[in-house]
Amino acid sequence: MTDANPTCREIERDLVAMAAGEAASGAARVVERHLARCRECRDELERYRVLESMVTDLRREPVPGADPALSRAELESRLADIRARMVAYGIFSSPLGKILIARSELGIALVEYLNSEKAAVSYLAQLAGGEVREDKAGVEMVYHELLEYLDRRRTRLDWPLDLRWAGSDFQRRVLAATAELPYGAVTSYAGIARRIGTPSAVRAVAQALRRNPVPIVIPCHRVIGNSGDLVGYAGNRISLKRTLLSLEGVPVAARGRRIERNHMYARAGADTEYCVPTCGSLSRQSLAGLTLFGSRGHAESVGLTPCASCRPDLHPLSA
Amino acid sequence: MVKGMTQDPFEAVVAVHHAEIHRYLVRTTSRSGEADDLSQETFVRAYRAYQALPPDANVRAWLFAIATNLCRNHFRSEKRRRQAMAVAAANASERGPAWPEGEAIANQATARLDRIVAALPLKQRLAFTLRKVHELEYEAIGESLQCSAESARAHVFQALKKIRRELHDLAVVHAEPQP
Repeated sequence: MTDANPTCREIERDLVAMAAGEAASGAARVVERHLARCRECRDELERYRVLESMVTDLRREPVPGADPALSRAELESRLADIRARMVAYGIFSSPLGKILIARSELGIALVEYLNSEKAAVSYLAQLAGGEVREDKAGVEMVYHELLEYLDRRRTRLDWPLDLRWAGSDFQRRVLAATAELPYGAVTSYAGIARRIGTPSAVRAVAQALRRNPVPIVIPCHRVIGNSGDLVGYAGNRISLKRTLLSLEGVPVAARGRRIERNHMYARAGADTEYCVPTCGSLSRQSLAGLTLFGSRGHAESVGLTPCASCRPDLHPLSA
Repeated sequence: MVKGMTQDPFEAVVAVHHAEIHRYLVRTTSRSGEADDLSQETFVRAYRAYQALPPDANVRAWLFAIATNLCRNHFRSEKRRRQAMAVAAANASERGPAWPEGEAIANQATARLDRIVAALPLKQRLAFTLRKVHELEYEAIGESLQCSAESARAHVFQALKKIRRELHDLAVVHAEPQP
């Protein structure tokens, strides 16, 4: 191969390809014809073949100084950190309208009723500091359990929760006390305030529940006004609160804004018994000191026994 | 219960590909420290985009594309480019390898080839390494370098030509009888 010879220059690229075994058959024939006449290029082909075999060695030899172990370990820890922050979400239809469910590695972090999908996703992204991805399959299980719950085929949602967005200790205490409220039971905001040992913090309790990141799962719908009014739910979605309570068998007055306390069994404080609402002085007591149950079944399912004096088992409330 | 919370398919991607991507970046940056950083960055970016990757995508080629892109960005800074050229020049002048001291290189010929490759212009170095060391298809190399498969092929060709010129003393053993 000489730079002066135009044919040598023309076939050079194909000659190099030939050494690597990559030349197209047509091109290879042209090169072969030239090689038959050109000693220089024959030598050159051999040199490129030697070079190719050196490259093969390069492939086999370990790269000096390249120990990936440390980098791999650091990478694993960075990924673990991202994974811990990462939130996956799905948007689903439900009898309560469209819902966004988001989870982290630790558990369900957000259940959000949607007005606008876009707004909800950007709210989530803001909460999660950008580490958000749509992953319907990742939350689908939870969604199906939720549907069963809304269809009365399930009374518990035992999901692991990630309460990273429950701002303060106080809010977490409020949510924990609310999570204790059994299916089919209600109490008041003042009742929750009393349970967490801050009886005067009624407004703060209401605020904490208003910002409940995981409604339904943490049943803030079971917390009502002291008068029995269904106040404040997910903004102003009183009708959702009514729907959730009704499906649990809590009697809601025909006009739909107040529970029917006279039609509910009552447990005073931490008693181990439940009563008809007219037992003793119960009907005059503040809801704050009571837990009300929609049915005997609900009361008994949490281990309560019928009161020995009013005997709700013998004199049940008429349905 | 929420299932599938701890299973992450990306763990397998890291397990299968990290060492190779790291090796690629050590070769193309000539510095294992930078390869450590860039390979981590490659996988962190990949992790964030992984969900959106079509199921039939070639994950390996995709990772090489991310790594290549990061590598080019890395060298784009003029200062770094100068530093790299200084390193490359030092390597090419055979004052010794850029690898940590004391690292013995068994094969002298391979070491020499490594130094020549380290001194190639960036695109040629990347194209050469992708093709000849990691054996990617030209199509994939083109995607990595954001050029056509044909341009990728041309970069590899130019690299081979330069390497050939540097190895001016390559011995030729004639299989055919001399006339």
